[in-house]
Amino acid sequence: MIEMDCIRKIYRTQHVETHALTNFTVTIDDGEFVSVMGPSGSGKTTLLNIAGLLDTFEHGRYLLDGEDVSRLSDREMSAIRNQKIGFIFQSFNLIPDLNVFDNIDVPLRYRGMGGGDRRAAINNALEVVGLSARTKHYPAQLSGGQQQRVAVARALVGTPSLILADEPTGNLDSAMANDVMDLLETINNMETTIVMVTHEPELAARAQRRLHLLDGRLIDLEADDRPTPLVARPDGSPSARV
Amino acid sequence: MFAYMIRIAVLSLRRNPVLSTLLIAAIALGVAVSTAFVTVYYVYSGNPIPTKSDRLFYVQMDSWNPDRPYARSRPEMPPEQITYRDMQGIMTSDIATYQSGMFVASLTIHPPEEEQRPYRERVRMCFADFFPMFEVPFTYGGGWGRDSDRGPEPVVVIDAATNDRLFGGGNSVGKTVRIEDRQFTVAGVLAPWRPSPRFYDTHTGASQVPEGFYMPFEFVREFEVETAGNLLIWSDYDETGGFEEFLASEAIWIQMWVQLDTAEQRQTYSDFLDAYVMEQKNLGRFGRPLNNRLLDVMEWFKDQEVVPEEATGLLVLSLLFLLVCAVNLIGILLGKFLTRAPEVGVRRALGASRASVFLQHIVECELVGVVGGLFGLGLSALFLRLINRLLDNSGQFGLDLPMISAGIGLALVAGLVAGLYPAWRICRLAPAIHLKLQ
Repeated sequence: MIEMDCIRKIYRTQHVETHALTNFTVTIDDGEFVSVMGPSGSGKTTLLNIAGLLDTFEHGRYLLDGEDVSRLSDREMSAIRNQKIGFIFQSFNLIPDLNVFDNIDVPLRYRGMGGGDRRAAINNALEVVGLSARTKHYPAQLSGGQQQRVAVARALVGTPSLILADEPTGNLDSAMANDVMDLLETINNMETTIVMVTHEPELAARAQRRLHLLDGRLIDLEADDRPTPLVARPDGSPSARV
Repeated sequence: MFAYMIRIAVLSLRRNPVLSTLLIAAIALGVAVSTAFVTVYYVYSGNPIPTKSDRLFYVQMDSWNPDRPYARSRPEMPPEQITYRDMQGIMTSDIATYQSGMFVASLTIHPPEEEQRPYRERVRMCFADFFPMFEVPFTYGGGWGRDSDRGPEPVVVIDAATNDRLFGGGNSVGKTVRIEDRQFTVAGVLAPWRPSPRFYDTHTGASQVPEGFYMPFEFVREFEVETAGNLLIWSDYDETGGFEEFLASEAIWIQMWVQLDTAEQRQTYSDFLDAYVMEQKNLGRFGRPLNNRLLDVMEWFKDQEVVPEEATGLLVLSLLFLLVCAVNLIGILLGKFLTRAPEVGVRRALGASRASVFLQHIVECELVGVVGGLFGLGLSALFLRLINRLLDNSGQFGLDLPMISAGIGLALVAGLVAGLYPAWRICRLAPAIHLKLQ
């Protein structure tokens, strides 16, 4: 699903250069559920942004679903985001003026789907997250857990092959967090690849594989269910399966 | 997608009603002022008879004082009107397709209903050719025939408002109305007709509405009526000789129009005018150098400066005012849009391209423009009514379809001017930065 090869990302200000990712290489297979951990500033969100085509990088190559997406135009990247990627954010990022139905409708609008197809897809997504009775509610009328479930439905509605979740349980209590994790596992069981950034080791442990980042580098890699050897790359950086 | 963008724009405007009202009010004010002055300019500068404006010619001959030009500031210019005797002289020609001398008189109308009181009304004294030459539209009947010019026959053409006033509307052809002390038979009732500017007589105000009555020119003798327009004279005449002496004088008070359809016809008519003046010179008149002019409608407007400099100046100022309104909105819109950066980040993450975000925000600006434009047109109509009242010009300035379209067009341009930079800025924002901030 994801093949990143020697990705380098540097944030520059007038006086400081910050190396967010340094020669970062990773492969994530179709249908995997991968968690990404690491201290603040280690490059987790940058990794997610690059993986989600929300940010560019200076050097390296990125293959998404077998397609080289390293140097695409904005229009091409937008189309891929719309059709292949779903996003779940820590603070839900629902649009406050839109009700539940219309929030979930947003990605389908940019896909140019017809009204009937959109309605069917939204109702289906709402059923998966168990919010069919809340279609007319606005975000402010929902609990945090319900809002995150709406966000999950929005990520899910376009049937993406990859879901990127940036601390999806960060703003939730443990019961709600577990609900959301259950939901992510359900989605993963539908063959959707999931990459989840989290600070919580017990939640990370529910993923099939954990990636650990430090200073923009991958420092460890393990798969709970299928041990995979680390393979040193010629430049010395660790790599996932090759 | 466009309908979706409008819906999102409406939601955005409803989010902050005070700010949205401010935006709409600024556009409305700019559109109101600019549309009003565009309308004034349009009325003054339009071609009132585009089908034949290049074939209608205003006739000028220099019969003025041999010792000084008609206008010291423009010594090359012949007088703007001609004498009665010269009009009679050149009306004998049959070169032009149509020709008519004319002037406006003020006569007393006696309504057929006795309870209606007599009133003074502007009457255009003209020849039969006036109607076909100027493509005057009729609802009932038509103009009188050339035979009625000789005689003259007591026939009259009235406009629609006069028909309503005197006869309660309907087909009044054949009915009679007393003008001064003579009964006139209605030959035709005009359809609504309001050439802007009123090209055939710029001396009594190009913004005036056409007259309510039209009657054969030669009733000038019977009524011994002088013009209600401009009359200038450079030499004395024997006033004891009565009205006939006045008609034979050098007083200029008549406008003369001819229709010349071909270059050859124009040349022939020009030669005829020269020959006429040379003949008059032999009779001791026309002491100034030969200086005849034939100007078509638009040339005549330019010569007469029908578009006042003030109208042009106010047009430019009003458009600048609209520009200032729009430019002032740039900062407000930029602030408004930037507060929505997190939402834009989400939309970008969900598949909106930069172009789509740009278009979304332009649609919002144009929605402000259109709503502001509609309010502005309402204000503009009130503004024009005020101008009409101040100038006492019987509602010459009004919003017709082209001016409503112009107003909406100006509003759209203002919306675009105001929105281009903010929309460009918001679409260039990196979505990743704002996703974490929401």
